[in-house]
Amino acid sequence: METFDIVVIGAGPGGYPAAIRAAQLGANVAIVEREQLGGTCLNCGCIPTKALIAASETFAHIKHAAAFGIHVKEATADYSGMVAHKNKLVTQMRGGIKQLLTGNGVKHLTGTASFIDRTTLDVSGTRIGAKKVIIATGSTSVMPGFLPKSPRIVESKAFLELDKLPSSLIVMGGGYIGCELACMAAQCGVKVTIVELLEDILLLLDADVRREVRTHMEKNLGITIRTGKPLEKDEAEAAEMVLVAVGRKPVTDGLNLQNAGLTTNDKGYIEADEYGRTKVATIYAIGDVTGKIQLAHYATAQAMVAASNACGQRAEKHDTLVPGVIFTSPEVALVGLTEEEAKKTGRGIATGKFRFGGLGRAMAAGETVGFVKWIADAATDQLLGAAVVGPRATDLIAEAAVAIRAELTARELGKTIHAHPTFAEAWMEAAHAVHGECVHAAPKRR
Amino acid sequence: MPKFGQMTEESAIVEWRKKEGEKVAKGDVLFTVETDKSVMEAESFFEGTLIKILVQPGVNVPVQSTVGWVGTPGEAIPAVEAPQPAPKPKAEPVGRTVPSAPQPVITAPEPRSASAATVPAPVASPALFRISPRAAKLAENCVIDATKIRGSGPQGRVVEKDVRGYLDYQGYDKLRISPAAKQLAKKEGIDVLMLRRDGERISVADVERAIAEKPKMMSKMRQVIAQRLTQSVVTAPHFFVTVSVDMTDLVKFRASLKEAGQPYTVTDFISQAVILTLKEFPEFNSSTDGKSIRWNSHVNLGMAVSLEQGLVVPVIRNAEDLTLLELNQQTKALADKARSGKLAPQEMSGSTFTISNMGMLDVENFTAIINTGEAAILAVSSTIKQPVVREDKVVIRQLMKITLSSDHRLIDGAQAAKFINALKKKLEDIELWKLLTS
Repeated sequence: METFDIVVIGAGPGGYPAAIRAAQLGANVAIVEREQLGGTCLNCGCIPTKALIAASETFAHIKHAAAFGIHVKEATADYSGMVAHKNKLVTQMRGGIKQLLTGNGVKHLTGTASFIDRTTLDVSGTRIGAKKVIIATGSTSVMPGFLPKSPRIVESKAFLELDKLPSSLIVMGGGYIGCELACMAAQCGVKVTIVELLEDILLLLDADVRREVRTHMEKNLGITIRTGKPLEKDEAEAAEMVLVAVGRKPVTDGLNLQNAGLTTNDKGYIEADEYGRTKVATIYAIGDVTGKIQLAHYATAQAMVAASNACGQRAEKHDTLVPGVIFTSPEVALVGLTEEEAKKTGRGIATGKFRFGGLGRAMAAGETVGFVKWIADAATDQLLGAAVVGPRATDLIAEAAVAIRAELTARELGKTIHAHPTFAEAWMEAAHAVHGECVHAAPKRR
Repeated sequence: MPKFGQMTEESAIVEWRKKEGEKVAKGDVLFTVETDKSVMEAESFFEGTLIKILVQPGVNVPVQSTVGWVGTPGEAIPAVEAPQPAPKPKAEPVGRTVPSAPQPVITAPEPRSASAATVPAPVASPALFRISPRAAKLAENCVIDATKIRGSGPQGRVVEKDVRGYLDYQGYDKLRISPAAKQLAKKEGIDVLMLRRDGERISVADVERAIAEKPKMMSKMRQVIAQRLTQSVVTAPHFFVTVSVDMTDLVKFRASLKEAGQPYTVTDFISQAVILTLKEFPEFNSSTDGKSIRWNSHVNLGMAVSLEQGLVVPVIRNAEDLTLLELNQQTKALADKARSGKLAPQEMSGSTFTISNMGMLDVENFTAIINTGEAAILAVSSTIKQPVVREDKVVIRQLMKITLSSDHRLIDGAQAAKFINALKKKLEDIELWKLLTS
């Protein structure tokens, strides 16, 4: 029986970085994956959706190119061509991960890992020893039980495998996955309806941010959004296609956790602390299966910490400031506390907002929808949170994340010289607005 | 400020229950007051509107002083000054407890006191801290505690160059701190030099820790507990004697009483047994100042009751005159009052012997500290099933450990042993309880 210092189960954005980091630290590492390398992120999540969204955005830009004096006759979107681009990209990136793993001397095993005991695993019939195990098995889409089984009722993974879009689509669930795919489909000409049980879509966002995205989705993309009412069974049956995006659940089937002395919590997640440790000393867990924040970059952050802790490095905790990005049209991103969360902490809050409509670069690019917003502590001026809705939001949030992590004050951020003319200037302007000292916005009416 | 209790000279308002401008009916609770022993409610004797609050919560003021005005809105408030906070026993600055900070190298020249002259040179009073405005501004901007700096100016006045020298000496320029952490420290008056962690950048979390660690005033109740118990431990030499009481029969008997609808509790039996034993051993119902001894003619039984905010000891007066049923009723009434914070001061003073019962708290044994002014205290622990030897056989019995703490100035070991065994004997004598309850 071959024995490894560390065996990582699952090769998604949590698992493969953990394996590579552990190998870099000198451990003898194996990684077990029963499907494709790259996990949900690469194969049926972050990357393929962004490939399709890039295509649909390009199509939308072409349709609006006349405003810049560029006339394109009869632009058409060929969805199968978009899918081909996506598939090529995914295959290419899988190869990249394989190379990285091989290059770092990580042994890649294909199969389902299952615990025999704490330090022994069965991988589809082969036994391996593992001094330490890192579980990174991820999550999968939830399908509500009342929905009939039908090729017309799909979750995100199956939806991404379509080679043709329907002419109309009901998206069940107004979370970020549902909204991203709804925008993409709408830009490709699909008549989209989002049905959300709760009182609004994208409820993790502040109301002003939500309103901005929703208005644009409804008015400019023609998406019908219905909230506060469930999707009825007969509606689902009558629809041409239903995309179910109501949440994700952990994947632990086949692991035989009980053989290792591990249990899942009442929601099925494997609990892990900020060091990545589970209740069993030699077993770590990271990513979606831990049920904390289900985002690829959070899994990667957990992975780095768990891998170095598993390799006996000085125990460190992972960071907890996690930016969130949503590739709707317009894009949305947030980091730190929302205004609502900040208010709930009971402290005094000061906010500063700046609309892209007041920014030279945004006007030049014809992308004036949306705004950036800082949420600061009124007493100490500390930047507590930031949100951005509008062009390049998902990239712009990086500056806010650095600023918040560095515990900058709005004053400090406002003093930082931002290049003109850029979208990022909006952060500086909004920081000035926190103190009511914004140059490029009319003063607030008193 | 109402006077609750004979000895109360000053009190602090805990909370105003009415806001300024709010209507007040006769009998409405206006505010709550913290006295030495508890929190009391102060009711309004008048009807009207609370037009002015003069004393904010947490400020100690003498009793009988004006704390606010009830009248009609718009009515002029009589020109009476707000009462001055009662003088603190010692004006100690509330600061971080820091092991004596290294002193700066630049120190003021020692005042040449009484070297040649017979009259000592005037020395600046340590309470008077003198600093120049520029120096104060610099210290404020650096978020450091300027009072730690020894000044070189006249009368030890701290001037800018002293602050700069201090910053240099402390290696202030090597200090790394996040902007938000510095702002927070400034707002909360935390000296950033005290947060230094070898080379690591000071974060908001470090400042928050320092804020959380700042010493805060204990509640009046805790301060009184601290003072009384310390006094007891320091003045009364304690010694402890423990026995195991076999409660099997009494527990069974009590269960049968309960079934028959009788209210007695095990606590009642223990109290009664103590009262009876005290009559046999009056030295346990006495008190001393170290020179004289006072024999108390009555048994005023104190019962320690634990509350969320601290400990109170309601007292059953003349307990030796009560029947077991009366004892049961009074115990229950006092415990209820204690839990709802409604004990009157006179119901919490004058005990001559105290029982501390932790039976319901799952403890095998503990010792209690004698209530100051008493000769002994009984600590009652949980009743636990245990294997014991009876007539050379191991049997399961329910045992309860009781520990007597005695003041050795009054009582010697042999007496304590006799007392506690007499007590044990009573609790194990089921015939006695049959007589007392029938």
